[in-house]
Amino acid sequence: MSIALRILLIVVSVFSMVIMMRKIRQSKFQIEYAIFWILFALILIVMAVFPTLTIRLATLIGIQSPVNMVFLMIIFVLMAKLFYLNIQISHLEYTVKELVQKLALNEHHALDSEAESSDKEAVSAPESSDETENTH
Amino acid sequence: MKVLVIIPAYNEEENIERVVNDMTSQYREYDYVIINDGSKDQTSAICHANHYNIVDLPVNLGLEGAFQTGLKYADLHDYDYAVQLDADGQHSPVYIKDMIQKAQEGYDIVIGSRFVTEKKPWNARMLGNRMIEAAIRISTGKKITDPTSGMRLYNRNMIHEFASNINYGPEPDTISFLLKQGVAVASVQVTMQERIAGKSYLNFARSASYMMRMMIAILLINNFRKR
Repeated sequence: MSIALRILLIVVSVFSMVIMMRKIRQSKFQIEYAIFWILFALILIVMAVFPTLTIRLATLIGIQSPVNMVFLMIIFVLMAKLFYLNIQISHLEYTVKELVQKLALNEHHALDSEAESSDKEAVSAPESSDETENTH
Repeated sequence: MKVLVIIPAYNEEENIERVVNDMTSQYREYDYVIINDGSKDQTSAICHANHYNIVDLPVNLGLEGAFQTGLKYADLHDYDYAVQLDADGQHSPVYIKDMIQKAQEGYDIVIGSRFVTEKKPWNARMLGNRMIEAAIRISTGKKITDPTSGMRLYNRNMIHEFASNINYGPEPDTISFLLKQGVAVASVQVTMQERIAGKSYLNFARSASYMMRMMIAILLINNFRKR
């Protein structure tokens, strides 16, 4: 690995950590998600600081240039992360669907029972306040 | 003085009745609310049949989201103190009195700790507890005897702060962060029961990732957080 590449890896890792910490500071990022990126950045830094580790791993697998080992590892980790993200998205979609359906059915139920009660008390004062309306 | 006992419950059909009946029969001075975290079993049905005070979350949010719902309830109804009581029966309401007394001495958070006067045993289960205690000591210079205890009491300021922010889970890393920011935290000796029925959420992989999260959050991330 060339010195330039090693420096680049370290710079990019540190830079991404700084951005993450800023996002956490601004309360825009959950710590659960930051953990992965911190570990990822730390591994990149380790690979840059101790290139012999990477070189040994590369010869073990039979990759000629150790820099390809770095790329391969990054690609694998990002593939796994992407897959996991996809699972999370489908879970989120399921959750949103559940919530929307529940909200709509509740509102329908509330309107129904409101209509029923106003039928019964046709003589009494006009419609009650709009308690069921969403406040947000 | 109004005190709210928050009981987060996820699939606790075997325990919830015993825990709540114990609360309502012997500790009428405290209000309580059960937060049903989208349980798939009969937890919700049992609570409604018994006319317990229950909030049903339509989907599973996890402990952090469920407990925060309880704190939002406490904030909304102007409670002076809120305390977390696990639905598996390992916490006993008998200690709430001591915890309130301690809080009135001027503490914002009071932890029901198993190891104030008792010694912490040297076994595998306490390894994580010791590691987190050490991390908090390094990060804040203060000693929290039982950081993983779930039985914690919050005063009005803390209720509002926990209810309205992200990254405020009821976990040791939040306690450590607040300690660092000058919040007054105290511990009170309690005894906890082993879970009587149902199974624990923790296994080895979950414990390992929990520990990883706590260590990175306490030792690294907390240094950069802003309150």
